[in-house]
Amino acid sequence: MMPPINWPVIYPELAICITAFIVLIVDLFLPGRHKWVLSLISIFGVLVALQIVFMNFGLKGDTKAFFGMVVSDATGLYFKTIFCIGTLLAIFVSITYQRREFPEVGEFYTLMLLSTFGMMIMASALDLITIFLGLEMMSIPLYVLAGIYRGRYRSREAALKYFLLGAFASGFLLYGIALIYGAFGTTNITRIVELIADGKPYSPFFVGVGSVLVLIGLAFKAGVVPFHMWIPDVYEGAPAPVTAFMSAGPKAAAIVAILRIFVITTPVIDLTWVFWVLAVVTMTWGNILAINQNNIKRMLAYSSIAHVGYLLVAITVGGEEGVSSAAFYLLVYTIMNIGAFAIVVLFAEREEFYENISDYAGFGSRFPFAAITMTIFMASLGGIPGTAGFVGKFMIFSGAINHGFYWLAVIGVLNSLVSIYYYLRVVVAMYMRQPQTRLVDIAISPSLMIAIIITLLLVIQIGIFPDNWLSLAKQAASLAF
Amino acid sequence: MSMLIFYILAIVAVVSALMVVTLRNVFHSALFLVLTLFSVAGIYVLLEAEFLAAVQVLIYVGAITILMIFAIMLTYQITSKSIRQVNEQVIPAVIIVLVFFVLSLVTLIKTSWPVSNKSLPGNNTFEIGRQLLSTYVIPFEVVSIVLLIALIGAIIISRQDGPSRPGQEDR
Repeated sequence: MMPPINWPVIYPELAICITAFIVLIVDLFLPGRHKWVLSLISIFGVLVALQIVFMNFGLKGDTKAFFGMVVSDATGLYFKTIFCIGTLLAIFVSITYQRREFPEVGEFYTLMLLSTFGMMIMASALDLITIFLGLEMMSIPLYVLAGIYRGRYRSREAALKYFLLGAFASGFLLYGIALIYGAFGTTNITRIVELIADGKPYSPFFVGVGSVLVLIGLAFKAGVVPFHMWIPDVYEGAPAPVTAFMSAGPKAAAIVAILRIFVITTPVIDLTWVFWVLAVVTMTWGNILAINQNNIKRMLAYSSIAHVGYLLVAITVGGEEGVSSAAFYLLVYTIMNIGAFAIVVLFAEREEFYENISDYAGFGSRFPFAAITMTIFMASLGGIPGTAGFVGKFMIFSGAINHGFYWLAVIGVLNSLVSIYYYLRVVVAMYMRQPQTRLVDIAISPSLMIAIIITLLLVIQIGIFPDNWLSLAKQAASLAF
Repeated sequence: MSMLIFYILAIVAVVSALMVVTLRNVFHSALFLVLTLFSVAGIYVLLEAEFLAAVQVLIYVGAITILMIFAIMLTYQITSKSIRQVNEQVIPAVIIVLVFFVLSLVTLIKTSWPVSNKSLPGNNTFEIGRQLLSTYVIPFEVVSIVLLIALIGAIIISRQDGPSRPGQEDR
C-alpha cells in the first residue's frame, strides 16, 4: 500500500518557494527606487516558513511524505530552523549593500530564497535522488549570486570557478548514487537500510566505492580538505553579503546530507577512519593557511574550512552525541560567522573596499561599538570561554573524549589555539595599530544594525546560557536513533 | 548479434569521446560529441529503453549539442583557432584517472549484479510516466524549479543593462 501524500511535511519548503516566486513577479512591476519592498516580502516569507517549521515539530503520526521521498523528523526540522535563521540574517546584511551596488537586480532575493529552498529539500530528503536535486537547487543560485557583481573581475572569476568545480563535484555525487543504485536496486535510504536488515547480499567493495564518491560530492560543498580549493577564491570574489550567506547555510546543508547518509542510518560500511583523517587534515590545513592571510574575507574563508574540520570531528564520533554536537555547532557557527561578515560589510560601506586586515587599524577608537562587536565575534570563532563558540567546541571535543577519540580531541584543541592567533590579529589591528589614512565616517544602515545586534545577542546568550539550545540540539539527535 | 552491435556502439562511443577531449578544433570536438551521444542512444535501444533513447536523441543531440555548435559559430574566430586541451598538470591527471579507471573496472567486475527476473512492462513509456507522477513526483517538481532558476540565472548573468560599473573594475 502506498503511503499518503501528507502535505504538511513540505509546507516550510512551499512557503519559501512561493515567496521566491512572489518576489520574482513583484520585481517586474516595481520601479528601481522601490526595490526595498522585495526584501520585506522575503523577510516575511522566511518568518512564515520559520513559524511553520516550529509548528511541524509537533506533527503527529507518520512524518514521511510523497512515497517516502521526504520526511519531517526532528533532525530535518532543526536544520531547517538553522537555514531560516541564516537566510533571515543574510537578507538583513544584504539590503543596503544590494541597494547601493546592484540596485537593478531584484532577483537577488529570489536566488537567495530558492537556494534556501534547495537546502531545505536536502534536509528533509530520504532519497539519494532528492538529495542530489536539493543540492543542485541550492548550488545553481549560488553560482549566479557569486557572480552577481558583474562589474568586478573577481566576482566573475569566483562565479566561473565555483560553477566549473561545482559541476565536476556533482558528477562525482551522481556517479556514486548510480553505483549505490546498482548495488541495491533502489535509491531510497530507508529501503536500503531495510534491505540490509533483511540480510540481502551486497558487494561491500561496490557500495564502498559508491559511498566514497557520494562523500566526495558532498565534501566539496562543505569545503573539506582536499576539496576546498574553490573556497578562498569564491569567498573573496563574491560580494560580502553573498559570502555571508554561502558560508553558513550551504555548509550546514552538505553536513546534514552527510549525517543522513553516513551517520544517522545504520552505516553500510565503516567509514570512521576516513572521517578521522579528513577531520585532522581539514582542521590543520585550514588553520595553517589562515595564519598568513591579509584579506579578511580570505582569512574567514580558511577559518570556515577549519570549522568544517571541527564538525568532521563530531561526525567521526557519530551516534547521538556526535549528531547533537554537530547540530549545535552548526547553529552557533551560522550565527557568529554571519555576524562577523556583517561587520565586514559594515566596514566595506565606503568609497574603497576595506577588505585587508591592516585597513582595520584604528577602528577601535573610531568605531567603538563595531570594534567591540567584531572582537566578540572573533573571540567566539576562536572559542574563548563566555561565547557561543566555546560551548560548541566544548561539546564536540568532550564528545570525542567520551567516545575514546583522544588524539582527535588533542589535535582539535591544539588547532583551536592556533586559530586564536589569527582571530586576534584582527583585534590587534583594530585597537593597537595607527591608521595610515584618515578614517571617514560610515553611514550605519538600520537593517545591517538589526543583523549585527541579533547575532551579537545570540552569541552572548548562547555563550552564557546554552541549556535551552543544547536540549534542542539533543532532541534533534535523539529522535533520529 | 546484439552483442556484436553493442561492441560496435561501445567502441564508437569511447573513441569519439576521446576525440572530444583531445582534438585541437572546438568545432570538431562538438561534432564528435554528437557521435558519442548517438552511440549511447543506440545502447539504450539495445537495452529496450526506447523512451530513454528518444530523450537522449531529442535533448542531447537535438538541443544541447546544436546549441553548443551555435555558440561556437557565433563566438568570434574560435573555430579557426587551434586550442590545447592539456596543461602542465597532464601527467598527474593521467595517473589519477588511470587509478580511478582501474578501481571502477575492478568494482564492475567483482560485483554480483542484482538481476530481476520480471519481464519488462509492455509499455515502458507509460510506466515511466506513471512513476514520474507518483513515486518520483517530488524530484520531478524540484527539477522543474531547478530548470527555471537556471534560466533566470543565465538571464541575470548575460543581460546587457545589468550592474556594470566600469569605474569599479579592479583589474
